Amino acid sequence: MTVTRFLERLPLYLVGLAVALWTLLPIYHLLIIALSPPDKAVAGDIIPQAVTLQNFVTILGSRHNLVQNFWTQLWNSTLIAVVTAVLTLVVGIGANFSISRLRLPGGRIVTNIALLTYLIPAAFLALPMYRTMGQYGFLDKPWSMIFAMVTLAAPYAIWVMNQASAKLPYELDEAARIDGATPLQILRFVYLPLMAPTMVAIGIYALLLAWNEYLYAFLMLSTERQLTLAPALGIFLAFDDAPWALMMAAGALYALPPTLVYYLFRRYMVGGLTAGAVKG
Amino acid sequence: MTAVTMDMAAAPPRKRMSEEMFWAIALIVPYVVVFAFFVVYPVGYGFWLGSGAASFKKLFQDPIFVTTLWNTAIFVLVAVNLKMVVALGLSAFFILEFRWIRWLSVVFILAWAMPSIPSILSIRWMFNPEWGMVNNLLFKWFQIEGPGWLTERHYGLMLAILVHIWKSLPFWTLILVAARLAIPRDLYESADVDGATRWQRFRFITWPAMRAPYLTSVLLSSIWTLGDFNSIYLLTGGGPNDSTQVLATLGVRYLRIDQFDVGMAAVICAMPAILPMVFFLMKRLSKVDEA
Amino acid sequence: MKRALALALASAVAFGAATAQAQEKITVWFTKAFYPSEDKALQDAIAKFKAKTGVDVELSLFSPEDIVTKSVSAVEAGTPPDVGFGLTYDFRVTGKWAFEGKLEDITDVIEPLKAQYLEGPLSTTLLMNGKTGKKAYYAAPVELQLMHINYWVDMLQDAGFQESDVPEDWKGFWDFWCDKVQGALRKKGQRVFGVGHPASIQASDTVYSFHMYMNAYNVKVVDDDGKLLLDQGDNKANFAKAIGDYASVVSRGCSPASSVNWGDVDNNLNFANKTTVLTHNATISIAAAQMDAMNKAENTAEQRATAKTNYFEKIRTRAFPNKPDGGKTPQLAAVKTAVIFADAKNKKRAKEFLAFFLTEENLQPYVEGSLGRWVPVTRKAIEAPFWTDGKDPHRAQVIKQLNEGTVYFPFTKNWKFTVVNAENVWGRATARVAKEGVKPDVAAEDAIKRIKEILAQ
Repeated sequence: MTVTRFLERLPLYLVGLAVALWTLLPIYHLLIIALSPPDKAVAGDIIPQAVTLQNFVTILGSRHNLVQNFWTQLWNSTLIAVVTAVLTLVVGIGANFSISRLRLPGGRIVTNIALLTYLIPAAFLALPMYRTMGQYGFLDKPWSMIFAMVTLAAPYAIWVMNQASAKLPYELDEAARIDGATPLQILRFVYLPLMAPTMVAIGIYALLLAWNEYLYAFLMLSTERQLTLAPALGIFLAFDDAPWALMMAAGALYALPPTLVYYLFRRYMVGGLTAGAVKG
Repeated sequence: MTAVTMDMAAAPPRKRMSEEMFWAIALIVPYVVVFAFFVVYPVGYGFWLGSGAASFKKLFQDPIFVTTLWNTAIFVLVAVNLKMVVALGLSAFFILEFRWIRWLSVVFILAWAMPSIPSILSIRWMFNPEWGMVNNLLFKWFQIEGPGWLTERHYGLMLAILVHIWKSLPFWTLILVAARLAIPRDLYESADVDGATRWQRFRFITWPAMRAPYLTSVLLSSIWTLGDFNSIYLLTGGGPNDSTQVLATLGVRYLRIDQFDVGMAAVICAMPAILPMVFFLMKRLSKVDEA
Repeated sequence: MKRALALALASAVAFGAATAQAQEKITVWFTKAFYPSEDKALQDAIAKFKAKTGVDVELSLFSPEDIVTKSVSAVEAGTPPDVGFGLTYDFRVTGKWAFEGKLEDITDVIEPLKAQYLEGPLSTTLLMNGKTGKKAYYAAPVELQLMHINYWVDMLQDAGFQESDVPEDWKGFWDFWCDKVQGALRKKGQRVFGVGHPASIQASDTVYSFHMYMNAYNVKVVDDDGKLLLDQGDNKANFAKAIGDYASVVSRGCSPASSVNWGDVDNNLNFANKTTVLTHNATISIAAAQMDAMNKAENTAEQRATAKTNYFEKIRTRAFPNKPDGGKTPQLAAVKTAVIFADAKNKKRAKEFLAFFLTEENLQPYVEGSLGRWVPVTRKAIEAPFWTDGKDPHRAQVIKQLNEGTVYFPFTKNWKFTVVNAENVWGRATARVAKEGVKPDVAAEDAIKRIKEILAQ
């Protein structure tokens, strides 16, 4: 590369560098604390004085008061995320198929009303939702999180599915009907195969939403063995032996799965999820 | 979609109407149940709880209420506009077809894909006035005592805004990249033939095409930013002295001090700001849906 | 097929309503202990209770802060646990709950145990129920805390002073640490602070410590009937003095800037990190953490040895200095309370459990499990060798302060002060002076106005 070309592109490189630093600095900081020995966690240096995997060993072996239930909590997070994804898909497919393929009269209204939930910030729904979960007897059980997360994920799911299924030619359904297919057969053999990529995107979206949620989990789950990882990490803040290194190591472990899932399914995610918001 | 609509009008009368109707209803029931049990009822109940005059009186009497309203306004206005302008600029960067930029976009998205709690707490410790990395390095390199990032209201709010942007910038950049990609290339090519400047290209091609998605994004992002709990709660906890509370964190704050109804009243207070935006957005979005 | 689906739907709707209970159980919420020994004592008591009654105990442990939020929300939602024990219940919610009829009258649990209790602590749990208009025992004392001052002897010496140099008069005391000790250490290039001074509204330590300042300035907040005295006579001027004095430690730069945003553990942390030379703290948890560290098997021999030196030689526990007028500063005690909720599902068993847990043989190991952080409220336990054998410098100091006599917080006289505390009107007043440059008498005026608003609600 010639010097002039480099100079021409210099502004681009500078933007690139700024973006990289901006994004990576907090993550780097997280990692160096996670890799520090417990008593050097807050040394505040750019290059850590010592590096150790001790914190990760402590966590994976559940060898500290605060990470006794790490594996249970990991399992809770997983269970809630997976069931949320499945239920969101079930609810979303049902609603979308009914509205856009079976053309339920008044279906548009349902979509619009659903959208209303999506548009009201989750933090404002949290208090009333918490209160009613108590009345249903779901508090401190995975169901409270699952239903809350399905409630938050479903409107967006239905909306994105409406966008996607509108692109499927209706003639296909008609052709199947003429061949004598029942609605369920159309769902199974026409709709689902064509919608598969969107389903993957929606499923992952719901999965990540549930996995990453802090506020709802903090409010609705209580027992250490029922907690998901997010509120379990919050508890670290209240202890006087400053287990920051341990906490950041646990945080890194907690951040790993969603990041991996995201990258594995990135192709579907970007197309699927931005489809709606782009237009307009 | 117009084609489909016409299709429906021309569709032949269906033989098994009743069965289709049955399934249409049966399949939508799960969502309706979810909606009724987890949205309609809680919201109605919550509003009923928070709508007593006494709750509002307590809320308005609370010395932190006015500060909170100001904070919310500052937080939303600055965060949304700054974020969207930067996202608009970055979207021009990320559509460039260099391999390294594509890789960078993969890194960039990390902030969004990661859960809030570890990343925000990491930032919180980075900025701890006494032992955080930032002030430590300021002291070490320049022998200056860095500011109380999390203990002064304006710094706290500023950092909270930056944290919010850090977290959600990738998402909005992505959206605007997609919008930019939808602009036909040949428009730019003919502009080049006419010798248009960069600014003219932006002014007469990019912006007219981007205006609608940009405005939709601003609206949607405003609503979500208004409800951003994590950026404040995990960073400053609303402190010091409740000086960085926003409406989104006020609910939990009242829960902490055993005043659920006042918390609901605070939520209700946000509604006049949200509802117009919501209705406007719904109109825009459903127009897209049907167009 | 249609029918099958309808059935599935119906059962889906009905789902969640029915989870059959095979075994009888109670739900118990406790504050998660700082030290494993304390949690273990609790688990042991629970195991014994299970063996004795066959009742299963579902135990949840929360951080001291979260347990209030969780309990408040659960009470609000009508789904409280059967038994609750939170370290901040007493000054933030117990009195309010009792008044609003949200607690079960546990007089029948307390009556048989009356003889074992120290008198003072028990008196704080005789609470008014606004619904019945009668006082009864709505909470059970579990343990109590006093206010202490901790400092590093080695840092003091490093600054060129001896312990005998520490003045005993109020102003001299704080100036000594603020100016002399901090000044000397700063000159040596150390980035340290003389005092760790909790000054945030979210830390309960702020409430406790500020009440010590009010005591020092002879501020009477309420009379014995709970009537507000703060706005009368000298009280108002003294209140303003206490606010101004409390704020000045922060505004003079003697305490870390973050102290206006500290949580309850942060004064401990900053002290342990040697960022501060001194801190005032409810309980002796600062020393107890070293005791915990010196006995922890997973610590290296070196770490254990350091902790031991810290505990026995380097960390000093003492009382607050004398009042500005020269008298002794009254010792504030806060009694930590366990409750049974009015909406509890299994009150009968909850009472059995509470009665069982509160017997000396279960309560004493639990309180001692906290390594001295918590002080017994029963006659026998307070005389146990754990406290009285004279081998432990920190515990000996606790007993000394306890024997000098204690006073209780205003909220024990008027439950509405739990709301004042929860909102931390005190911390707000001092923070406004320290951070916003408001004049102390203005802050005092506004705080009194706010307190009156709350009392009127």
